[in-house]
Amino acid sequence: MEDERYHRQIILEGFGPIAQQKLAKAKVLVVGAGGLGCPALQYLAAAGIGLIGIIDNDTVALSNLHRQILYTSDDLGQLKVVVAKQRLQLMNPGIEVVIHPLRLNAQNILQILESYDVILDGTDNFDTRYLINDACALLKKPLVFAAVSGFEGQLSIFNVTDDQGIRTNYRDLFPVPPLPGEVPNCADNGVLGVLPGIIGTMAASETIKFISNTGKPLINKLLHYNLLNNQQYELKISPARDYELPQTEAELLNKHTGSLNTTEETYSEITGTDLQRMQEEPSTILIDVRERHEQPGLNTTVFRQTPMSEFRQFMETDIEENNIIVICQHGIRSAAAAKELSRKYGNTKNIFSLKGGIVKWYAYF
Amino acid sequence: MEIEIIAFGKIAEFIRGQRISLTAVSDTEQLRKYLEDSYPLLSGTKYKLAINKRIIQQKTAIQNNDSVAIMPPFSGG
Repeated sequence: MEDERYHRQIILEGFGPIAQQKLAKAKVLVVGAGGLGCPALQYLAAAGIGLIGIIDNDTVALSNLHRQILYTSDDLGQLKVVVAKQRLQLMNPGIEVVIHPLRLNAQNILQILESYDVILDGTDNFDTRYLINDACALLKKPLVFAAVSGFEGQLSIFNVTDDQGIRTNYRDLFPVPPLPGEVPNCADNGVLGVLPGIIGTMAASETIKFISNTGKPLINKLLHYNLLNNQQYELKISPARDYELPQTEAELLNKHTGSLNTTEETYSEITGTDLQRMQEEPSTILIDVRERHEQPGLNTTVFRQTPMSEFRQFMETDIEENNIIVICQHGIRSAAAAKELSRKYGNTKNIFSLKGGIVKWYAYF
Repeated sequence: MEIEIIAFGKIAEFIRGQRISLTAVSDTEQLRKYLEDSYPLLSGTKYKLAINKRIIQQKTAIQNNDSVAIMPPFSGG
Protein backbone atom coordinates (compact mmCIF):
# COMPACT_ATOMS: atom_id res chain seq x y z
CA MET A 1 0.00 0.00 0.00
CA GLU A 2 1.21 3.52 -0.77
CA ASP A 3 1.45 4.79 2.79
CA GLU A 4 2.21 8.33 1.74
CA ARG A 5 -1.01 8.67 -0.26
CA TYR A 6 -3.07 7.79 2.81
CA HIS A 7 -0.67 9.33 5.34
CA ARG A 8 -3.07 12.02 6.61
CA GLN A 9 -5.79 9.51 7.47
CA ILE A 10 -3.39 6.87 8.74
CA ILE A 11 -1.95 9.31 11.32
CA LEU A 12 -5.46 10.25 12.40
CA GLU A 13 -6.18 9.11 15.94
CA GLY A 14 -9.11 6.70 15.86
CA PHE A 15 -8.34 5.63 12.28
CA GLY A 16 -4.78 4.47 11.68
CA PRO A 17 -3.17 1.74 9.55
CA ILE A 18 -5.60 -1.01 10.60
CA ALA A 19 -8.60 1.00 9.39
CA GLN A 20 -6.71 1.77 6.18
CA GLN A 21 -6.09 -1.95 5.65
CA LYS A 22 -9.81 -2.61 6.02
CA LEU A 23 -10.55 -0.06 3.28
CA ALA A 24 -7.93 -1.65 1.03
CA LYS A 25 -9.56 -5.06 1.42
CA ALA A 26 -13.13 -3.80 0.91
CA LYS A 27 -15.25 -4.28 -2.20
CA VAL A 28 -17.92 -1.58 -2.58
CA LEU A 29 -20.56 -1.43 -5.30
CA VAL A 30 -22.00 2.00 -6.14
CA VAL A 31 -25.33 1.74 -7.94
CA GLY A 32 -25.98 4.85 -10.02
CA ALA A 33 -23.11 7.07 -11.19
CA GLY A 34 -25.23 10.22 -10.96
CA GLY A 35 -25.59 13.09 -8.50
CA LEU A 36 -25.09 10.89 -5.42
CA GLY A 37 -22.79 8.35 -7.07
CA CYS A 38 -20.20 10.82 -8.40
CA PRO A 39 -19.12 12.40 -5.10
CA ALA A 40 -19.42 9.05 -3.30
CA LEU A 41 -17.17 7.42 -5.90
CA GLN A 42 -14.60 10.20 -5.70
CA TYR A 43 -14.17 9.93 -1.94
CA LEU A 44 -14.29 6.13 -1.88
CA ALA A 45 -11.60 5.99 -4.56
CA ALA A 46 -9.47 8.68 -2.92
CA ALA A 47 -9.77 6.99 0.48
CA GLY A 48 -8.36 3.76 -0.94
CA ILE A 49 -11.32 1.34 -1.12
CA GLY A 50 -9.59 -1.66 -2.73
CA LEU A 51 -12.24 -2.53 -5.29
CA ILE A 52 -15.04 -0.27 -6.45
CA GLY A 53 -17.83 -1.45 -8.74
CA ILE A 54 -20.00 1.04 -10.63
CA ILE A 55 -23.40 0.24 -12.17
CA ASP A 56 -25.08 2.64 -14.60
CA ASN A 57 -26.36 2.24 -18.16
CA ASP A 58 -26.81 5.94 -18.83
CA THR A 59 -24.75 8.37 -20.89
CA VAL A 60 -23.60 11.84 -19.83
CA ALA A 61 -26.13 14.60 -20.64
CA LEU A 62 -25.64 18.37 -20.40
CA SER A 63 -28.29 18.65 -17.67
CA ASN A 64 -26.26 16.19 -15.51
CA LEU A 65 -23.15 18.36 -15.28
CA HIS A 66 -24.29 20.78 -12.54
CA ARG A 67 -24.29 17.92 -10.03
CA GLN A 68 -22.49 14.92 -11.55
CA ILE A 69 -19.02 16.26 -11.02
CA LEU A 70 -16.98 13.37 -12.39
CA TYR A 71 -18.00 14.43 -15.92
CA THR A 72 -16.98 17.34 -18.13
CA SER A 73 -18.52 19.00 -21.18
CA ASP A 74 -16.21 16.83 -23.31
CA ASP A 75 -17.88 13.66 -22.00
CA LEU A 76 -21.39 14.35 -23.34
CA GLY A 77 -22.96 11.25 -24.86
CA GLN A 78 -20.42 8.88 -23.36
CA LEU A 79 -21.22 6.04 -21.01
CA LYS A 80 -21.02 7.33 -17.43
CA VAL A 81 -19.35 4.19 -16.09
CA VAL A 82 -16.58 4.40 -18.69
CA VAL A 83 -15.81 8.07 -17.97
CA ALA A 84 -16.13 7.55 -14.21
CA LYS A 85 -13.70 4.65 -14.25
CA GLN A 86 -11.17 6.67 -16.25
CA ARG A 87 -11.35 9.62 -13.82
CA LEU A 88 -11.19 7.44 -10.71
CA GLN A 89 -8.18 5.52 -11.99
CA LEU A 90 -6.43 8.82 -12.68
CA MET A 91 -7.22 9.92 -9.13
CA ASN A 92 -6.03 6.65 -7.65
CA PRO A 93 -4.32 4.04 -9.85
CA GLY A 94 -3.74 1.87 -6.77
CA ILE A 95 -7.34 0.66 -6.57
CA GLU A 96 -9.39 -1.55 -8.88
CA VAL A 97 -12.50 -0.17 -10.59
CA VAL A 98 -14.98 -2.57 -12.21
CA ILE A 99 -17.76 -1.25 -14.43
CA HIS A 100 -21.20 -2.71 -15.07
CA PRO A 101 -22.78 -0.75 -17.95
CA LEU A 102 -26.29 -2.09 -17.37
CA ARG A 103 -29.53 -1.53 -15.54
CA LEU A 104 -30.17 -3.72 -12.52
CA ASN A 105 -33.16 -6.03 -12.74
CA ALA A 106 -34.49 -9.01 -10.82
CA GLN A 107 -32.65 -11.39 -13.18
CA ASN A 108 -29.15 -9.95 -12.84
CA ILE A 109 -29.04 -8.33 -9.40
CA LEU A 110 -28.14 -11.25 -7.12
CA GLN A 111 -25.24 -12.37 -9.28
CA ILE A 112 -23.81 -8.84 -9.46
CA LEU A 113 -24.24 -7.95 -5.78
CA GLU A 114 -22.85 -11.24 -4.50
CA SER A 115 -19.13 -10.46 -4.83
CA TYR A 116 -19.30 -7.08 -3.02
CA ASP A 117 -19.07 -6.36 0.71
CA VAL A 118 -21.12 -3.15 0.81
CA ILE A 119 -23.70 -1.75 -1.61
CA LEU A 120 -24.21 2.02 -1.91
CA ASP A 121 -27.58 2.94 -3.40
CA GLY A 122 -27.40 6.24 -5.27
CA THR A 123 -30.18 5.47 -7.76
CA ASP A 124 -32.97 7.83 -8.76
CA ASN A 125 -36.14 5.74 -8.75
CA PHE A 126 -38.21 3.66 -6.34
CA ASP A 127 -38.37 0.53 -8.53
CA THR A 128 -34.61 0.08 -8.40
CA ARG A 129 -34.37 1.16 -4.75
CA TYR A 130 -36.87 -1.51 -3.63
CA LEU A 131 -35.18 -4.11 -5.83
CA ILE A 132 -31.77 -3.28 -4.30
CA ASN A 133 -33.25 -3.31 -0.80
CA ASP A 134 -34.88 -6.72 -1.26
CA ALA A 135 -31.80 -8.23 -2.92
CA CYS A 136 -29.53 -6.88 -0.17
CA ALA A 137 -31.89 -8.23 2.50
CA LEU A 138 -31.89 -11.63 0.78
CA LEU A 139 -28.09 -11.69 0.50
CA LYS A 140 -27.68 -10.03 3.94
CA LYS A 141 -25.49 -7.35 2.35
CA PRO A 142 -24.94 -4.06 4.17
CA LEU A 143 -26.72 -1.34 2.17
CA VAL A 144 -25.82 2.33 2.44
CA PHE A 145 -28.97 4.16 1.41
CA ALA A 146 -28.86 7.77 0.16
CA ALA A 147 -31.68 9.75 -1.45
CA VAL A 148 -32.56 13.39 -2.11
CA SER A 149 -35.69 15.44 -2.69
CA GLY A 150 -35.81 19.19 -3.23
CA PHE A 151 -33.39 20.69 -0.70
CA GLU A 152 -33.41 17.64 1.59
CA GLY A 153 -31.65 14.31 1.86
CA GLN A 154 -32.00 10.96 3.64
CA LEU A 155 -29.27 8.59 4.67
CA SER A 156 -29.19 5.19 6.39
CA ILE A 157 -27.41 1.85 6.63
CA PHE A 158 -29.63 -1.22 6.27
CA ASN A 159 -29.17 -4.97 6.79
CA VAL A 160 -26.59 -4.69 9.52
CA THR A 161 -27.32 -6.26 12.91
CA ASP A 162 -26.68 -3.81 15.73
CA ASP A 163 -25.38 -4.68 19.20
CA GLN A 164 -28.94 -5.39 20.33
CA GLY A 165 -29.45 -7.95 17.57
CA ILE A 166 -31.74 -5.66 15.54
CA ARG A 167 -31.50 -5.50 11.76
CA THR A 168 -33.70 -3.24 9.63
CA ASN A 169 -34.21 -2.48 5.95
CA TYR A 170 -35.98 0.14 3.83
CA ARG A 171 -39.32 -1.67 4.09
CA ASP A 172 -39.27 -1.02 7.84
CA LEU A 173 -39.67 2.63 6.89
CA PHE A 174 -41.84 2.37 3.81
CA PRO A 175 -43.25 -1.16 3.35
CA VAL A 176 -44.58 -0.60 -0.16
CA PRO A 177 -43.30 1.64 -2.96
CA PRO A 178 -45.20 4.83 -3.79
CA LEU A 179 -47.23 4.72 -6.99
CA PRO A 180 -45.54 6.13 -10.11
CA GLY A 181 -45.72 9.91 -9.97
CA GLU A 182 -46.74 9.97 -6.29
CA VAL A 183 -43.31 11.22 -5.24
CA PRO A 184 -41.55 13.59 -7.66
CA ASN A 185 -38.00 12.84 -8.85
CA CYS A 186 -35.13 15.25 -9.57
CA ALA A 187 -36.01 15.49 -13.26
CA ASP A 188 -39.52 16.71 -12.48
CA ASN A 189 -38.84 18.49 -9.24
CA GLY A 190 -35.38 19.99 -9.71
CA VAL A 191 -32.39 19.69 -7.42
CA LEU A 192 -29.63 22.09 -6.38
CA GLY A 193 -26.39 20.50 -7.57
CA VAL A 194 -24.62 20.75 -4.24
CA LEU A 195 -27.33 18.77 -2.36
CA PRO A 196 -26.52 15.32 -3.82
CA GLY A 197 -22.89 16.43 -3.43
CA ILE A 198 -23.39 16.70 0.33
CA ILE A 199 -25.56 13.59 0.70
CA GLY A 200 -23.35 11.51 -1.64
CA THR A 201 -20.28 12.56 0.34
CA MET A 202 -22.07 11.65 3.57
CA ALA A 203 -22.89 8.25 2.02
CA ALA A 204 -19.18 7.75 1.27
CA SER A 205 -18.40 8.80 4.83
CA GLU A 206 -20.89 6.27 6.27
CA THR A 207 -19.42 3.56 4.01
CA ILE A 208 -15.88 4.35 5.18
CA LYS A 209 -16.96 4.50 8.84
CA PHE A 210 -18.82 1.20 8.54
CA ILE A 211 -15.99 -0.66 6.79
CA SER A 212 -13.26 0.69 9.05
CA ASN A 213 -15.36 0.33 12.21
CA THR A 214 -14.94 4.02 13.02
CA GLY A 215 -17.41 6.14 14.99
CA LYS A 216 -21.15 5.46 14.90
CA PRO A 217 -22.41 4.64 11.42
CA LEU A 218 -26.16 5.10 10.79
CA ILE A 219 -27.13 1.49 11.50
CA ASN A 220 -30.89 1.30 12.17
CA LYS A 221 -31.05 5.10 11.95
CA LEU A 222 -32.44 7.43 9.33
CA LEU A 223 -30.66 10.76 9.08
CA HIS A 224 -32.55 13.60 7.46
CA TYR A 225 -30.61 16.67 6.27
CA ASN A 226 -32.07 20.01 5.24
CA LEU A 227 -29.75 22.15 3.15
CA LEU A 228 -31.80 25.34 3.59
CA ASN A 229 -31.40 25.60 7.36
CA ASN A 230 -28.57 23.08 7.93
CA GLN A 231 -30.75 21.09 10.28
CA GLN A 232 -30.31 17.38 10.77
CA TYR A 233 -32.93 15.08 12.26
CA GLU A 234 -32.06 11.53 13.20
CA LEU A 235 -34.74 8.88 13.61
CA LYS A 236 -34.34 5.48 15.23
CA ILE A 237 -35.71 2.67 13.04
CA SER A 238 -37.20 -0.47 14.54
CA PRO A 239 -38.43 -3.53 12.64
CA ALA A 240 -41.99 -3.39 11.28
CA ARG A 241 -43.95 -6.59 10.84
CA ASP A 242 -46.29 -5.41 8.11
CA TYR A 243 -44.45 -6.63 5.00
CA GLU A 244 -42.81 -9.69 3.52
CA LEU A 245 -39.36 -9.81 1.98
CA PRO A 246 -38.55 -12.27 -0.78
CA GLN A 247 -36.77 -15.23 0.84
CA THR A 248 -35.52 -16.91 -2.35
CA GLU A 249 -34.35 -15.87 -5.80
CA ALA A 250 -37.65 -17.14 -7.24
CA GLU A 251 -39.62 -14.92 -4.84
CA LEU A 252 -37.42 -11.94 -5.73
CA LEU A 253 -38.07 -12.54 -9.44
CA ASN A 254 -41.76 -12.90 -8.79
CA LYS A 255 -41.98 -9.70 -6.75
CA HIS A 256 -39.89 -7.55 -9.06
CA THR A 257 -40.51 -8.77 -12.58
CA GLY A 258 -42.84 -6.51 -14.42
CA SER A 259 -42.31 -3.57 -12.12
CA LEU A 260 -39.15 -2.71 -14.01
CA ASN A 261 -39.27 -1.98 -17.70
CA THR A 262 -38.15 -5.30 -19.13
CA THR A 263 -39.10 -4.50 -22.73
CA GLU A 264 -36.23 -2.03 -23.18
CA GLU A 265 -33.26 -3.11 -25.29
CA THR A 266 -30.64 -4.90 -23.25
CA TYR A 267 -27.78 -3.59 -25.36
CA SER A 268 -26.35 -0.06 -25.33
CA GLU A 269 -25.04 2.14 -28.13
CA ILE A 270 -21.55 3.56 -27.59
CA THR A 271 -19.38 6.15 -29.30
CA GLY A 272 -15.95 5.64 -30.89
CA THR A 273 -14.29 7.14 -27.83
CA ASP A 274 -16.17 4.69 -25.59
CA LEU A 275 -15.07 1.89 -27.90
CA GLN A 276 -11.41 2.84 -27.60
CA ARG A 277 -11.65 2.95 -23.83
CA MET A 278 -13.73 -0.19 -23.53
CA GLN A 279 -11.56 -2.37 -25.71
CA GLU A 280 -8.95 -2.15 -22.95
CA GLU A 281 -11.40 -3.77 -20.49
CA PRO A 282 -10.65 -7.38 -19.61
CA SER A 283 -12.97 -10.04 -21.05
CA THR A 284 -14.03 -7.96 -24.04
CA ILE A 285 -14.65 -9.23 -27.57
CA LEU A 286 -14.91 -6.92 -30.60
CA ILE A 287 -16.97 -8.22 -33.49
CA ASP A 288 -17.04 -6.72 -37.00
CA VAL A 289 -20.25 -7.86 -38.71
CA ARG A 290 -19.46 -6.33 -42.13
CA GLU A 291 -18.90 -8.63 -45.11
CA ARG A 292 -15.27 -9.48 -45.72
CA HIS A 293 -14.86 -7.24 -48.79
CA GLU A 294 -15.98 -4.03 -47.09
CA GLN A 295 -13.52 -1.16 -46.63
CA PRO A 296 -11.81 0.14 -44.59
CA GLY A 297 -10.37 -3.15 -43.44
CA LEU A 298 -9.70 -3.42 -39.69
CA ASN A 299 -7.04 -5.40 -37.84
CA THR A 300 -8.69 -8.84 -37.82
CA THR A 301 -6.72 -9.97 -34.78
CA VAL A 302 -8.45 -7.22 -32.77
CA PHE A 303 -11.82 -7.16 -34.55
CA ARG A 304 -13.17 -10.66 -35.03
CA GLN A 305 -14.69 -10.90 -38.51
CA THR A 306 -18.19 -12.32 -38.30
CA PRO A 307 -20.16 -11.13 -41.36
CA MET A 308 -23.95 -10.94 -41.01
CA SER A 309 -24.18 -13.68 -43.68
CA GLU A 310 -22.45 -15.99 -41.20
CA PHE A 311 -24.06 -14.60 -38.07
CA ARG A 312 -26.69 -17.34 -37.57
CA GLN A 313 -23.92 -19.93 -37.50
CA PHE A 314 -21.89 -17.77 -35.12
CA MET A 315 -24.87 -17.51 -32.73
CA GLU A 316 -24.76 -21.28 -32.22
CA THR A 317 -21.37 -21.01 -30.55
CA ASP A 318 -21.07 -19.55 -27.05
CA ILE A 319 -19.13 -16.36 -26.41
CA GLU A 320 -16.89 -16.55 -23.35
CA GLU A 321 -16.16 -12.85 -22.91
CA ASN A 322 -18.41 -10.71 -20.68
CA ASN A 323 -18.37 -7.57 -22.82
CA ILE A 324 -19.40 -7.86 -26.46
CA ILE A 325 -18.93 -4.87 -28.76
CA VAL A 326 -20.41 -5.15 -32.26
CA ILE A 327 -19.47 -2.80 -35.08
CA CYS A 328 -20.37 -2.35 -38.75
CA GLN A 329 -20.24 0.41 -41.36
CA HIS A 330 -23.12 2.66 -40.15
CA GLY A 331 -24.26 1.10 -36.89
CA ILE A 332 -27.44 -0.43 -38.32
CA ARG A 333 -26.39 -4.04 -38.82
CA SER A 334 -24.41 -3.97 -35.57
CA ALA A 335 -27.58 -2.85 -33.72
CA ALA A 336 -29.48 -5.79 -35.24
CA ALA A 337 -26.67 -8.15 -34.25
CA ALA A 338 -26.55 -6.66 -30.72
CA LYS A 339 -30.31 -7.22 -30.44
CA GLU A 340 -29.86 -10.88 -31.48
CA LEU A 341 -27.05 -11.28 -28.96
CA SER A 342 -29.09 -9.69 -26.18
CA ARG A 343 -31.94 -12.14 -26.93
CA LYS A 344 -29.51 -15.00 -26.43
CA TYR A 345 -27.49 -13.68 -23.48
CA GLY A 346 -30.03 -11.36 -21.81
CA ASN A 347 -28.39 -9.50 -18.95
CA THR A 348 -25.69 -12.08 -18.37
CA LYS A 349 -23.37 -10.14 -20.70
CA ASN A 350 -22.82 -6.47 -21.49
CA ILE A 351 -23.61 -5.92 -25.16
CA PHE A 352 -22.78 -2.80 -27.16
CA SER A 353 -23.21 -1.52 -30.68
CA LEU A 354 -21.00 1.24 -32.12
CA LYS A 355 -23.35 4.16 -32.84
CA GLY A 356 -23.00 5.49 -36.38
CA GLY A 357 -20.58 2.70 -37.22
CA ILE A 358 -17.04 2.89 -38.54
CA VAL A 359 -17.90 5.85 -40.80
CA LYS A 360 -18.75 8.03 -37.81
CA TRP A 361 -15.87 6.62 -35.74
CA TYR A 362 -13.35 7.39 -38.48
CA ALA A 363 -14.63 10.97 -38.56
CA TYR A 364 -13.06 11.36 -35.09
CA PHE A 365 -9.55 11.07 -36.47
CA MET B 1 -52.29 18.25 25.38
CA GLU B 2 -49.83 20.07 23.18
CA ILE B 3 -47.46 18.43 20.70
CA GLU B 4 -44.85 19.60 18.23
CA ILE B 5 -45.24 18.68 14.55
CA ILE B 6 -42.25 18.52 12.20
CA ALA B 7 -42.84 17.60 8.55
CA PHE B 8 -40.25 16.79 5.88
CA GLY B 9 -39.95 16.79 2.09
CA LYS B 10 -43.09 17.50 0.08
CA ILE B 11 -45.24 17.12 3.20
CA ALA B 12 -43.60 20.25 4.68
CA GLU B 13 -45.15 22.20 1.79
CA PHE B 14 -48.63 21.73 3.26
CA ILE B 15 -47.92 20.99 6.93
CA ARG B 16 -45.61 23.58 8.42
CA GLY B 17 -43.69 22.97 11.62
CA GLN B 18 -45.89 24.03 14.52
CA ARG B 19 -47.12 23.26 17.99
CA ILE B 20 -50.71 22.07 18.08
CA SER B 21 -53.18 21.55 20.90
CA LEU B 22 -55.01 18.25 20.78
CA THR B 23 -58.20 17.15 22.43
CA ALA B 24 -59.57 13.63 22.02
CA VAL B 25 -56.29 12.36 20.53
CA SER B 26 -54.34 10.02 22.76
CA ASP B 27 -52.49 7.63 20.46
CA THR B 28 -50.79 7.50 17.06
CA GLU B 29 -53.81 5.91 15.31
CA GLN B 30 -56.01 8.81 16.37
CA LEU B 31 -53.28 11.28 15.50
CA ARG B 32 -52.97 9.80 12.01
CA LYS B 33 -56.70 10.26 11.45
CA TYR B 34 -56.61 13.77 12.91
CA LEU B 35 -53.73 14.79 10.61
CA GLU B 36 -55.30 13.26 7.50
CA ASP B 37 -58.62 14.96 8.26
CA SER B 38 -56.89 18.30 8.84
CA TYR B 39 -54.59 17.96 5.81
CA PRO B 40 -56.39 15.92 3.10
CA LEU B 41 -53.24 15.90 0.90
CA LEU B 42 -51.55 13.74 3.53
CA SER B 43 -53.93 10.82 3.01
CA GLY B 44 -52.73 10.47 -0.60
CA THR B 45 -49.08 10.34 0.46
CA LYS B 46 -46.84 7.58 1.84
CA TYR B 47 -45.30 8.67 5.13
CA LYS B 48 -43.96 7.34 8.39
CA LEU B 49 -44.61 8.84 11.83
CA ALA B 50 -41.95 9.15 14.49
CA ILE B 51 -42.54 10.12 18.10
CA ASN B 52 -39.59 11.72 19.88
CA LYS B 53 -37.31 10.57 17.03
CA ARG B 54 -38.42 6.92 17.15
CA ILE B 55 -40.15 5.47 14.11
CA ILE B 56 -43.62 4.23 15.07
CA GLN B 57 -44.46 0.64 14.05
CA GLN B 58 -47.58 0.08 16.15
CA LYS B 59 -50.21 2.04 18.01
CA THR B 60 -48.36 4.18 20.53
CA ALA B 61 -49.66 6.52 23.23
CA ILE B 62 -48.97 10.21 22.78
CA GLN B 63 -47.92 12.35 25.72
CA ASN B 64 -47.96 16.07 26.31
CA ASN B 65 -44.97 17.83 24.67
CA ASP B 66 -44.17 14.89 22.38
CA SER B 67 -42.43 15.71 19.16
CA VAL B 68 -44.09 14.12 16.10
CA ALA B 69 -42.15 13.82 12.83
CA ILE B 70 -43.85 13.07 9.50
CA MET B 71 -41.36 11.59 7.03
CA PRO B 72 -42.06 10.79 3.35
CA PRO B 73 -39.86 8.55 1.15
CA PHE B 74 -37.30 10.24 -1.13
CA SER B 75 -36.14 8.64 -4.37
CA GLY B 76 -33.91 11.27 -6.03
CA GLY B 77 -30.30 10.62 -6.82
